[in-house]
Amino acid sequence: MLDLTVPGTAVPTFTSLPPHVEELRDRVRAFAQERLRPAVRRLDQADAADFDWELVTEGHQLGLTRLVISRQHGGLGYGELGVAVALEELAAVDAGYALVFGATMLGQAPLLLSGDPALQARFLPLFAGDEPVLACNAITEDQAGCDLLIPENAVHARDVMRARRDGDHYVLDGAKKFITNGKVARYATVFAAVEGTPGASALTCFVVPLDSPGVELGAVADKMGYRACLGTEMAFTGVRVPAENVIGGEGGGVFVNVQQMNMARAAVAAISTGVARGALELARQWCGERVQGGVPLYRHQFTARKLAEMSMKVDAARLLYLRAAQLADTEIPAPAYEPAVAKLFADRIAIEVAEEAMSLMGARGYVRDWVMEKYLREALGARIYEGTPEVLALAITESLYADDDDL
Amino acid sequence: MPAFTSQAQAAAVFPQLFEILLEDPQFGAIVRDRGLSVRFVHTKPDLQLHVDADGVRVGGPPAPASLTITMSCDTADALWTGRLLMPVAVATGRIRIKGSVATVVEFVPLLRPAFDRYPELAAAAGVPAAS
Repeated sequence: MLDLTVPGTAVPTFTSLPPHVEELRDRVRAFAQERLRPAVRRLDQADAADFDWELVTEGHQLGLTRLVISRQHGGLGYGELGVAVALEELAAVDAGYALVFGATMLGQAPLLLSGDPALQARFLPLFAGDEPVLACNAITEDQAGCDLLIPENAVHARDVMRARRDGDHYVLDGAKKFITNGKVARYATVFAAVEGTPGASALTCFVVPLDSPGVELGAVADKMGYRACLGTEMAFTGVRVPAENVIGGEGGGVFVNVQQMNMARAAVAAISTGVARGALELARQWCGERVQGGVPLYRHQFTARKLAEMSMKVDAARLLYLRAAQLADTEIPAPAYEPAVAKLFADRIAIEVAEEAMSLMGARGYVRDWVMEKYLREALGARIYEGTPEVLALAITESLYADDDDL
Repeated sequence: MPAFTSQAQAAAVFPQLFEILLEDPQFGAIVRDRGLSVRFVHTKPDLQLHVDADGVRVGGPPAPASLTITMSCDTADALWTGRLLMPVAVATGRIRIKGSVATVVEFVPLLRPAFDRYPELAAAAGVPAAS
């Protein structure tokens, strides 16, 4: 059992995971090591628009596309804890591959939060079929990123995608940018502002099948890391969406998004933890094999100190994301503080650990064949999505000053 | 003006609402077959309900429950009349739930019959219809 509280101390301890989460972790770890690892260099060095459907199909068969979907809709019914633990295992090998599934879950989250049985019955069983179905969450725009994440900034957002009511439909016009899975997803949760309101102050969440007339998928971003997943531009021109595809009501998009973020941040922290762990594992292996001055590198005190610090950081990051995930599984609304702290810390230490691990490997760390430099490129990526350090700092500080209001 | 002015008024509406839900085949099945129990903590005015396979119990000492759902009576009125949507209520902290979120995800859609029946129950108890 996951033991959060120890009598007599406020320090949380995690003695072990629940058995069903441990079993999932072991299955995903075996897959990541045996199937994903041999493909890592190819995935990382492929063209920006290449997508390995074969490996994604294997992940789908493992259940990665339906981890959070309830059993009644053919899913596996795991919570955030299971998701986070699985994503750490994948990211320890390849963060881009982990994000293919993380982004799908982000696209599924509004449906899960909606409490709308009709919408859930229409869309969620799609993920339980034989073929892999992916989803994406389309919020980021060319001129509006953090303004769409911070409710009080929404009014200042510029050139936001618009939604116009037309009878029993809405008509969407606008464009999205850097949308993970946008090129390969079957449907998207799309955020647009209802016409007649300033900025994004009437942000509304729509479920949009991506084969709808008027949806155009644009260029894939040529990213420095996370090469196994595709970040895509998406254009929506006169796209008609039934009103029943709205989640959270007209103008409720910002609330849906806040909940999504608070749920997703524990998972992204787990990805960063995985990246740090992957870098640490390579460095540990190298420092155990490489002999200098007649002894393995790790016997040198400076190296030992570095490895110890790196290991400590990975452990601490894991504890923070496990706490956040466990809370997200047992509290609604999902807390803002713990996931933000977990992500802020994990994103930071992933960069520190990857940079240190690379330096321990010397020239080999700088050469692409050894894969180490991939971890550093991936570590830099997680600082950007689902909350930059600046956005996370605002969320954390707001929690520090929040009143414990009653209902 | 608050929707509910007294505990007696709340007690005339919410217990009956959940008794109706227990008669719903889907809701009743999840409560019976999974041993689900839900503690509803209504505030302003205070009214606590315990819902499980044995029925609806009003007040009394808090018993262990799979889910604890806390909201004010005003929020409950806005929710059941459809003026407040669940994702918004949750995101703004007007509803707080403790327990397995995976269970909540399955449970919330099953509350649908309550939305149909609430207006007449509220009207019968003298709860003013919101404009």
